[in-house]
Amino acid sequence: MKVKCYIQGMAAISPQQTFDGDISTAPFVHSESNRLVCVEPDYKPYIPANSLRRMTRVLRMGLATALKCLSVSGVSTPGPIVTGTGKGSLQDTEKFIKEIEQYKETALNPTPFIQSTYNSVNGLIALQQNGTDYNNTFVHRGFSFENALVDSMMLLQEGASHTLTGSFEEMTPEHYYIKSRIGQWREAPVGNTHLFDANLPGTISGEGSAFFVLAAAPTQESKAAVTGIKLLYKPASERLSAVLQELGADADLVISGANGDSNYAHYYQLLNTVLPKPTIPFKHLCGEYDTAGSFALWLAASLLHAGNIPAEWFPMVKELPADFKKVVIYNHFFGEQHTVMVVEKV
Amino acid sequence: MEELKQKLKEQIIEALNLQDTKPADIDDNAPLFGDGLGLDSIDSLELMVLLERQYGIKVEDPREGRKILQSVQSMAEFIQSKQQPA
Repeated sequence: MKVKCYIQGMAAISPQQTFDGDISTAPFVHSESNRLVCVEPDYKPYIPANSLRRMTRVLRMGLATALKCLSVSGVSTPGPIVTGTGKGSLQDTEKFIKEIEQYKETALNPTPFIQSTYNSVNGLIALQQNGTDYNNTFVHRGFSFENALVDSMMLLQEGASHTLTGSFEEMTPEHYYIKSRIGQWREAPVGNTHLFDANLPGTISGEGSAFFVLAAAPTQESKAAVTGIKLLYKPASERLSAVLQELGADADLVISGANGDSNYAHYYQLLNTVLPKPTIPFKHLCGEYDTAGSFALWLAASLLHAGNIPAEWFPMVKELPADFKKVVIYNHFFGEQHTVMVVEKV
Repeated sequence: MEELKQKLKEQIIEALNLQDTKPADIDDNAPLFGDGLGLDSIDSLELMVLLERQYGIKVEDPREGRKILQSVQSMAEFIQSKQQPA
C-alpha cells in the first residue's frame, strides 16, 4: 500500500519505560525472565476510579495508552478508533471460562464475558471520550495491528481528518504455559539481555500497548510518516525478497523482528542478505506477541523524531547509524504473518 | 441480621472490587445505585450473581430485583426471608 499517513502523536506501554520515559534518556529495562512484563503507569490520572475498579490489566493498558496518545496529540474527541489485538483480554477470557466450569454454566458473572470481547478497549475509549465515529477492532493474529493500520490509512484517504489507531496485548501465566507446550518459548531462562547470544529454538514472550493519532496531511507536529506497508501470509522466499527489496532498497535503517528463535532465523538471514544495511532488533525490548509490530512502529517513529538511537537499548549492535531518515520494519509472527512497513522522517 | 449485613457488605466490596471502600463506609439504608455507592447496571447484574452464588437465591423477576437491590438492608431482608423455613 503506497498511501501515506502521518503520526501526529503516540504513546506506548511496554516492558520498557516507554509511557512516562523519554527514549533518549530512559534506561534499558533488563529482565532475567523469559516472560517480559509491561512497566505499568499509575492509571488514576487517566481513568476514573469507578471505571478502573472493573477493568482488568490489558483494558487499563489499552485505555490509558489511547488517552495519553490523544492528549499528546492535542485531540480530545477521537474520530475513527481502529485497533488490533491478537488475544484481547486473556485475564477476562480465562476467568469466564474457569467460572463456566466452576459454576456448572450457571450464575455467571457478566463482566469477564463483556470484557473478554476483543472490542472492549475500543468501546471504553469511545465511552470515555464521547467518540461516536467509526469503531473497529481487527483480530488476525500477527496481522492484527497491521490491518488496523491499513484500515486507518484507507479511512484517511476517504477523508477522515485523523484516526486513533493502536493495539493492545497481554500475556498471562496460564497462556504462557499453554504456549510453552508447543515450544514457543526458550526452555532455559535467557531473559532479554542475552536473547541473541545463542541460536536456539524458542524466544521470550512479551506484551504491550501502543497507540497513534494518524493524519492524512503533515503538520509541524508530525513525528514521522508511514509511507509503505505490505502484509504477506507464509510467503515464499522469492516473494519476500522481492517485497523487502521493493520497500527497503533505499532505507537507511532496518528494524528487524528477529527474536532469537532458531526455527525462524532463516527469514531474518534472508533480510540481512537482501538488505545489508544497519540493522537493530526490537524483540529484546518488548518480547514476542501478536501485535509487536505496533511497538516496532512506535520505536521507528520515536527514533526518527529523536534523531538518534539510544546505545543502551541496543548493546548487541556494535555500530549504530548516526543519521537515518528512512526506516524499514520487517517482522513476522512465528513464520506465518509477515509484515513490512516503511517509516520516514517528516 | 447485623452479622448478615456485615458479611453482605464485605461480599459486595469484594465482588465489585470497590477499592478504598470499607464495610463501615456503607450505610445499611443508603441507596446502592445513584447517590449512594454510585453503582451502575452492570453492578446490578453482578449483585444478582452474588445472591445466586453465595446464598443460592435466583431472582427471576427484574422488577423484584430493583426492590431487593435498593440497599444492604433490603438485600439482607430478602436473603433472610428466603432462608427462613416456610
